[in-house]
Amino acid sequence: MNFCFTTIRSFPKLWKNNPYLGVGPGHSYNSFFLKDGYGIRNQQKLFSLKTVSPQNTKAINLTAKARYRRKEDEGSNKVSSEFPHLFAAGAAKKRSQMNPHNQDLALSPERNIVQLPSKPLNSEQWDKLKEDFKGKANFEDWIIIQLINYNSSIDVAKSLLAWVAAKNNGIVSYNLLVKYLCLCVFHKQTSEVFDVYEILKARYKTLETSASTLLIRGLIHSDRWREALLLLEDIKKVMIPSKKNYGDCIQGALLHQDVDIAWNLFQELLGHDLIPMMETLKAFFDFGKDLKDDQYSKKLLDLLLYLRNNQLYPGESFAHSIKTWFESVPGEQWKGQFTTIQKNGQCSGCGKTIESIHLSAEEYELLKRKILSDVIDGGDQYKKTTPQELKRFQNFVEHCPPFDVVVDGLNVAKMFPKVRESQVLLKVVSQLAKANLRVLVLGRKHMTVQSARWRKDEMEKVQKQASCFFADNISEDDPFLLYATLNSGNHCKFITKDLLRDHKACLPDAKTQRLFFKWQQGHQLAIINRFLGSKVIFQHIPSYDTVVQTTGDSWHIPYDEDLVERYSYEVPTKWLCLHRKI
Amino acid sequence: MPVFLKMSIGITFIRPFARVLVPFTLNRKRRVLYSTILQRYVSSKIPAESSPKKENASPEQLELDGWKITMKSSVQEGVSTVSSAKDEDPVAATRELIEMWRLLGREVPEHISEEELKTIMECDSKSSKKKYLRYLYVKEKKKKANQIKKEMKAAAREKAIQDQLLETANQDKQQDFPFLRLWDRNMDIAMGWKGAQAMQFGQPLVFDMAYDDYMNPKELRYAVSQLLESEGCNRRDVDPFHIYFCNLKPESPFRRELIKRYGEKWNKLFLTATEKSHVDLFPKDNIIYLTADSPNIMTSFKHDKIYIVGSFVDKNIHPGASLAKAKRLKLATECFPLDKYLHWDTGTKNLTIDQVTRILLCLKNTGSWEEALKFVPKRKHSGYLDFSQHTQEFVNRMKKSKTINSFPKGSLNRYTQKK
Repeated sequence: MNFCFTTIRSFPKLWKNNPYLGVGPGHSYNSFFLKDGYGIRNQQKLFSLKTVSPQNTKAINLTAKARYRRKEDEGSNKVSSEFPHLFAAGAAKKRSQMNPHNQDLALSPERNIVQLPSKPLNSEQWDKLKEDFKGKANFEDWIIIQLINYNSSIDVAKSLLAWVAAKNNGIVSYNLLVKYLCLCVFHKQTSEVFDVYEILKARYKTLETSASTLLIRGLIHSDRWREALLLLEDIKKVMIPSKKNYGDCIQGALLHQDVDIAWNLFQELLGHDLIPMMETLKAFFDFGKDLKDDQYSKKLLDLLLYLRNNQLYPGESFAHSIKTWFESVPGEQWKGQFTTIQKNGQCSGCGKTIESIHLSAEEYELLKRKILSDVIDGGDQYKKTTPQELKRFQNFVEHCPPFDVVVDGLNVAKMFPKVRESQVLLKVVSQLAKANLRVLVLGRKHMTVQSARWRKDEMEKVQKQASCFFADNISEDDPFLLYATLNSGNHCKFITKDLLRDHKACLPDAKTQRLFFKWQQGHQLAIINRFLGSKVIFQHIPSYDTVVQTTGDSWHIPYDEDLVERYSYEVPTKWLCLHRKI
Repeated sequence: MPVFLKMSIGITFIRPFARVLVPFTLNRKRRVLYSTILQRYVSSKIPAESSPKKENASPEQLELDGWKITMKSSVQEGVSTVSSAKDEDPVAATRELIEMWRLLGREVPEHISEEELKTIMECDSKSSKKKYLRYLYVKEKKKKANQIKKEMKAAAREKAIQDQLLETANQDKQQDFPFLRLWDRNMDIAMGWKGAQAMQFGQPLVFDMAYDDYMNPKELRYAVSQLLESEGCNRRDVDPFHIYFCNLKPESPFRRELIKRYGEKWNKLFLTATEKSHVDLFPKDNIIYLTADSPNIMTSFKHDKIYIVGSFVDKNIHPGASLAKAKRLKLATECFPLDKYLHWDTGTKNLTIDQVTRILLCLKNTGSWEEALKFVPKRKHSGYLDFSQHTQEFVNRMKKSKTINSFPKGSLNRYTQKK
């Protein structure tokens, strides 16, 4: 009977992992395509458009995703890729797909089906179209938004505006003008942008941010790009321009070879505590290719250090730009390649060892202090614990010799819902104890009370093999876990599957949060068993830090792949390795 | 073809607009446009008349670009001169920005006072600015809608009075009534008596006002509104609580806002507002702090206990703030048995202060959880758990088979709990 159950249980897993069956985790691809076929046909009936209908793009995305998954699964002969590392890019996505959570991709019913014109219409035709339109919204506003959504040619929009103007004494509303401008900018119709700019200047005293943003974007490609800088100044009067505004202006300056303005704007951008867009940084590198200037090169290296300090990762195309720039530096003979890092922390490309994941002593002390003051205490000791308990805990930690492993008792015990909690905990602890590790188990007091899930004899065995600290039932145990681990020293690891994001969020600034994350990557052991078999398997801990780094004559730059969705608490797995030929 | 083209061109029209037109025409096919400019301009001035056809060579092109010229030519009041003057004033610039946003169809108010403008300028981030503007927009919209409603009501009342006048003219008779129409005032007085009685003999219900530090002004306003509401429903109840506002510091924003809202009435309220803490007023053992974070579930309403409700609206995330308060003072805590009685769907288990008051009042009067939890918003749950119904059926079945007596009391209870 038991056997039967397990096989049945493992079946769905089998087909979830096999993409060739055509049944994806969330949705079935086959049927989706079928549906989509109809969708496109319908769509063509409704819209005479050359552009891609939204369903179609979705389908493309899906195929791309499917292809990606296939590629990955081919390489999954090794054990590790079935359980992507807790913090590896795309792991969270994968975990979420493992849950059979069927998201219905039900298409919202199309209301207001008006055939979007593909050619300019005259006023009678527009009148007729307006009559067909039934909806609450203003017809003109609605139709121009549709034109933007489907990237119609600007002639259509122009004829719309002409019709509106004819009806309206030659007045076109600001709203329509800006929407039209949006279309012009998208199609890169510079002369049209100029015209709209003239009109806006003539009719309105000031512009608001969205029009300015569009104008900046439209003007930077033309000879009148300096006016974009004036527009930027105008925005500054009322609010801080967005990173997009700055990025556009910088790109404009670079397009017109004005390097100084570009760097000044970049400094200003950083001065406002904005995080520049990757495109902006990429533009600097792209421009640098044609420039043989030491000063400029130095600034580019500073940009890379900026990425390092803020733990930002370039995208795939940006990584290519960096590579091309390095290889174009004359006389230095850089050689770049895209690689991965081996488990032991060696670059597969050049064999160099990547920086260690361990924190420096100074950083370690800082983190320890911050965990105590912000995560455990947090301004109100009663929130997560009580002063008495904190005292008891600190005494406990001070008097016990440093541990090798700290176990989050409740998290570990609840991993296998079919098995009794205390049994799981005992199993994990005894396996650790057999390896001659000094173990600390953190838990809550209710664990020691005899119940169906917590057997007293098993808990006593746990207490024999490990030191235990039981917090009050209404206290939080995770902060204690963190502090106990940190207090034991750098060699100490902790076991939990929790990603600890709520505790990370308690930390005051981004810098400490990054420190915490780095420490967490280096010290967290997660159990990756699906079933409680004979042996508990832990996730392996990377020995290296995923961050932009250099040794002077080499650079290692992790980057994000375009097709992988990386969550904020994950790190990229792909690297760009650059080194000098000697 | 557009019908707004005009043939006749008055030479006097050209001069004032020549300045605007010339630089533009340089870029384009000069002659064709020049004539169209004039045509457009004139036509826009005289839209009523129409001419059947026009004579231009490239009609398509013209039709598409024509509107621009009118747009450029119909210049608004003194543009270029003003811009330099208002450069220094960010307030005016912000006002204009908001005006332009409104033209764009963003959710911003039409009218904005100096004070509100100042608040906007003080907002730290763009999104907070946008949020505040949206709030003003919604407020303005509501106000307008109310205004319209009011006018309609006034008109209807006018009409009703007219009708009544006609009627009374028809039957102008004296009628015998036992009472004068003074119901509202009588009600008030009666509630006052009840309130005074509650002040003497009523069970205390404490609102803990020590949360002003946790709340921003908006949340504080909400909290005070909820307090007003709770006080109101307590006043109307058959057997009101004796309400205490504890930890209400003089000069605290709470007190200021309460006085602002109550006005004259503040000093005549039948409740106790005190600076002191609830632990000073009552024996600690009798106090029960109500908080959704409590691990203990309230099973029944106890008439000899003092329940404390935190007057705290938590839009931000301060999880466990009230539990921490209770822990600090070593008070007993309880939470409502929401999960036990309701199929919870969405929303937090934190209820508003007035809902809590209503539930407590209902419990006090009837003692029935089903009745009391009617005040939990319907959107948050999908109905009652039907275990009571089950037990009822079970009991009935047992009664029928006459075996009920053979069951010890405890076993029945266990059954209910498990469900």
